[in-house]
Amino acid sequence: MTDTGVAESLAAAAADVLETMFFSSVIGEAPVSATPPAGAVAARLEFSGARSGAFAVRLTAGAAQVVAASFLAEETAEPTKPQVQEVICELTNMMCGSVLSRLDRGAHFDLGQPAMVDAAEVAQPEAVSRAFDIGDGEIAIFLSMDVQS
Amino acid sequence: MAYRVMIVDDSPSMRAFVRRVIDLSGFEVDTCLNAGNGAQGLALLEQQAVDIILTDINMPEMNGEEFLRRIEEHDKYRVIPVVVISTDATENRMQRMIQLGAKGYISKPFSPEALRGELERVLGVSHD
Repeated sequence: MTDTGVAESLAAAAADVLETMFFSSVIGEAPVSATPPAGAVAARLEFSGARSGAFAVRLTAGAAQVVAASFLAEETAEPTKPQVQEVICELTNMMCGSVLSRLDRGAHFDLGQPAMVDAAEVAQPEAVSRAFDIGDGEIAIFLSMDVQS
Repeated sequence: MAYRVMIVDDSPSMRAFVRRVIDLSGFEVDTCLNAGNGAQGLALLEQQAVDIILTDINMPEMNGEEFLRRIEEHDKYRVIPVVVISTDATENRMQRMIQLGAKGYISKPFSPEALRGELERVLGVSHD
């Protein structure tokens, strides 16, 4: 699949996961910056199987709070830092699964455990990436696949 | 009819979310047990009967595959329908979990309607 096809799968997966599980809508595309905005958070996981690589999600501080609050149905109290991190890891897990199944539904993949990482580390030059405006901030997603021999 | 449900997932947030989606769907729940992995799920089953189990796959200590194997080995538990909830939407994974004994499979993301539909399908609930 071409990078364009992969990027389209990233966009479709992001919109589907955000709308269905996090009650957030993609308002539009945003530029992917190599340097994360101040306060941004990120989670990353590695996968193996038919293809291997890594998948990462980076959110601005505002987007992280809103996404976590929506998932947790917190209408008044602000989610705690551990809650935000747990939700961001879950978001990463869901988006990665959704992307990989779109790339090859008949294949077998094993997803590793997502973990919070330094937001400055996820924008690898070899990754296919997309970023989206969700109103309260931005979400950027990065997919790196190992070269198949 | 209200059902006794067990949700097995290592993420407390995900367990709460699944419970909320079940409620949103209109599926009636009598009691809802929560377990953080398969081992905790088996321990709870020794104490309390349930009508249906929803389980994640990737969990520490005892994952969803081992949990399904243990349930299938147990005369009393194997009659309880298990629905796997997973981020993995590939046919391969779905078939593997069905072979291990799962009666249903739903991949994330899912809507309340899709979850209710799968729960009712495995329970044999008719809409008539």
